[in-house]
Amino acid sequence: MRKRVVITGMGWVTPLGFEIEAVWRRMLAGESGIAPTTLFDARTFPTTFSAEVKGFDYLAAAGLGGKQHSAASRSTLFALGAAKQAWAMAGLAGAKLDPYMVGTYLGSGESGVDFDPFTRTGLAAWPAGANELDMKVWGTRAMNAFDALREVEQEPNMPITHLAMEFGARGPALNCLTACAASTQAIGEATEIIRYGDADIMISGGAHSMIHPFGVTGFNRLTALSTMNDNPRAACRPFDATRGGFVLGEGAGVVILESLEHAQRRGAKILAEVMGYGSSADAHAVTDQHPEGRGAIVAMKESLRDAEMGVNDIDYINAHGTGTKENDSTESFAIKQVFAARTGGPATVPISSIKSMMGHLIAAAGAVELITCVLAIRDGILPPTANYAHPDPECDLDYVPNTARKAKVDAVMSNSFGFGGQNDTLIAKRFV
Amino acid sequence: MRRVVITGVGAVSPHGLGAEAYWAAVLAGKSSTGTLTRFDPSAFAARVAGQVPAFKTQEFMPKAYRKAVRIMARDIELAVVAADFAVRDAKLATRGVLESSGEKILSDGFFKPDPTRVGCNIGAGMICADLNELTAAMVVARNDDGTLSLAKWGKSEDATKPSGMESLTPLWLLKYLPNMLACHVSIIHDTQGPSNTITCAQASAGLALAEAARTIMRGNADVALVGGCESKVHPMGLMRWTKLDRLTTEHNADPERACRPMDEQASGSVLAEGGAVLVIESLEHAQKRGAKILAEVAGMGATATGVGVRDTEPTGQAMAAAMNKALKDAHIGADAISMMVPPGFGMKATDLAEAAAIKTIFGPRPVPVVPLRGGIGDCGAGVQALDLVGGVLALRDQGIPPAVNCPRPIAGLNVPAGKMNGPVDAVLILASALGGQNSAVILKRFVA
Repeated sequence: MRKRVVITGMGWVTPLGFEIEAVWRRMLAGESGIAPTTLFDARTFPTTFSAEVKGFDYLAAAGLGGKQHSAASRSTLFALGAAKQAWAMAGLAGAKLDPYMVGTYLGSGESGVDFDPFTRTGLAAWPAGANELDMKVWGTRAMNAFDALREVEQEPNMPITHLAMEFGARGPALNCLTACAASTQAIGEATEIIRYGDADIMISGGAHSMIHPFGVTGFNRLTALSTMNDNPRAACRPFDATRGGFVLGEGAGVVILESLEHAQRRGAKILAEVMGYGSSADAHAVTDQHPEGRGAIVAMKESLRDAEMGVNDIDYINAHGTGTKENDSTESFAIKQVFAARTGGPATVPISSIKSMMGHLIAAAGAVELITCVLAIRDGILPPTANYAHPDPECDLDYVPNTARKAKVDAVMSNSFGFGGQNDTLIAKRFV
Repeated sequence: MRRVVITGVGAVSPHGLGAEAYWAAVLAGKSSTGTLTRFDPSAFAARVAGQVPAFKTQEFMPKAYRKAVRIMARDIELAVVAADFAVRDAKLATRGVLESSGEKILSDGFFKPDPTRVGCNIGAGMICADLNELTAAMVVARNDDGTLSLAKWGKSEDATKPSGMESLTPLWLLKYLPNMLACHVSIIHDTQGPSNTITCAQASAGLALAEAARTIMRGNADVALVGGCESKVHPMGLMRWTKLDRLTTEHNADPERACRPMDEQASGSVLAEGGAVLVIESLEHAQKRGAKILAEVAGMGATATGVGVRDTEPTGQAMAAAMNKALKDAHIGADAISMMVPPGFGMKATDLAEAAAIKTIFGPRPVPVVPLRGGIGDCGAGVQALDLVGGVLALRDQGIPPAVNCPRPIAGLNVPAGKMNGPVDAVLILASALGGQNSAVILKRFVA
């Protein structure tokens, strides 16, 4: 018999704030965290805005004084901030735990290069008229310009390294990086680790910041980002006929996953149960999704099978809903295939995308969205899809347009799809 | 729970292309580390590397896919090549094999798997951008003071010329996403099952194998391509590890002797590139299609050291705990292990910590401890994948290979100086990442 897995703590650091209740209120009010980019001078970039985490004094706010985090990257600090909240909410501060049964599994992205030394060193080592670097010059300058610790802190396993230090977590420690699906996948696989019996508690979720010059360059070159520079708040328009790309966000979401027996034994407050997880690959193309949502359909169906639930049991879908032409129509098509057998048809499942308000947190998106789902269950209210004005015939479902909605919410599905065709779906349910 | 076996191995390493080239060199106690030639390392104190001999990635994929090589960083190319070797070794007629070798291969004992039941879980590292490509674009936007002008990077002052960012190919970002190793492999071989990319540095491949094996155990897939690949032979890699004091600077004149895991004269690690892909599948699937079974996946354990980004735990306690978890998972005792493969970076502090962990688990029993990296160096996310291949082939051939560059082992360890004959019943492979993630995998001889 596999173990049941529940959520006992949650925390996040997002463009809408960094405290569970405040962010949730802002989301329900349809507020936006999207504004002109301030982390670097993006004024001549095709996209001049993003969804930044602002005003967060990471170390102070999270009570992280220690020297051990002094060189931590922006995404590691986001992860620590979110995990601190989740750990406290779960009532684990000061708890007596077997350290080898407390693990970490994040879907965190690597940090950008240390921009100033990186660009200066490269430019200084490029002889006039040459077509390649003078490696002797590059090497000599690089050895002086870069900082050893700042370099290693860019690695994608550093957020979990810091979490292990901070919380004394010596159990299974993993980071996966499946682009925009990463933290959903991390939570799914962390659930499997508890089900198997390898850990009692997993600190799981994701953290990422790609709001740096080369990150935005990469997405701009792919023409994946919205370029609605004159009206950033309206730029992310999931499922709207005039949608034109996603908006880059940053942040972290962390949940405390726990075996039901462990949570009950210590009298923890249970926020929701993780019921199902589905994962698949499109095996189609590095850029485009499979046009018929083949992998997305499998991920959703697998999550239902894993949860032993049917399409009538799902009360809400938190969509991947990036606001790109392709994703939103493909995702809608896939949902229609999966939910075709639902009583009343697929249009009776409310679907929304919170990326309309806080942008796309890339690797961290799925974790923040699962937390949103748990809050929807708790309060019986669905967050809206903001900026929805023009119906698209290819997206003809119920997207909870612009206004939050009261609803009976017992079970939710959360989708995440990544570049390269990785698809992951989670199902969470009110704990009974 | 279903049993999981290994039915194919593919390796790309400084020892050569393919698992057999790797294994022949390992058995011969050969070292393939040499002078770093990929770029001019003369500004650095460490100038040794484990480099993969020249190959053409295009030859390891169907013709129709060859143009995609343009958007593959070196790390991705290594994975594509390793995967091709692995599926052919397992006699799986995947899409990639069928399209490049034709249907005739089906009469040669090859089996066509159900793509929806094949997963892919390949560990990867942080992939560095090609410095020449990126700097050529930056030069377009250089300020007079030698800094990069973000204004000119975003938009050219001369409308007839591309800006800095416009000088990069539109798909530039996709060359460097770590999940692109698994993505290209999944597209080439049409693996539509669960797919993941573990990025836990040197511990990635064991964690990937463990995760995918459990996916098969619980019935979510029948087959999976697992492993890891990375190239650390990059100017940024050399700079980073030089600054972290990880590399030996004492062997530029005798580069084949540079990496000395578990040797008392170890003076640092060596940058390398490479990795491996293994085919794992459920026992029933393997038996039904008549696959040759190389080994069985017996147990997995994972822990975190959690002592600091660059620090080592001298007692090796967390590494020992990972091995204990794996033994418990395999339902065997330490005395059932015939050969142990340690991380063996060839760095004094980590080697000593590993020795402490080994002694904790194996006590005074002189289990053969065989570091497999002495002739290769450290290829990050690829390194435990190569260690796993070594373990599989030791079980297949019932032989224990010699350690390379270890004439004076750390006291109390039984490090074989020459090849030993079996029996080899079970092999424990331990990895430890920079960052403190540990993964232990136990493979055993398959007995029906």
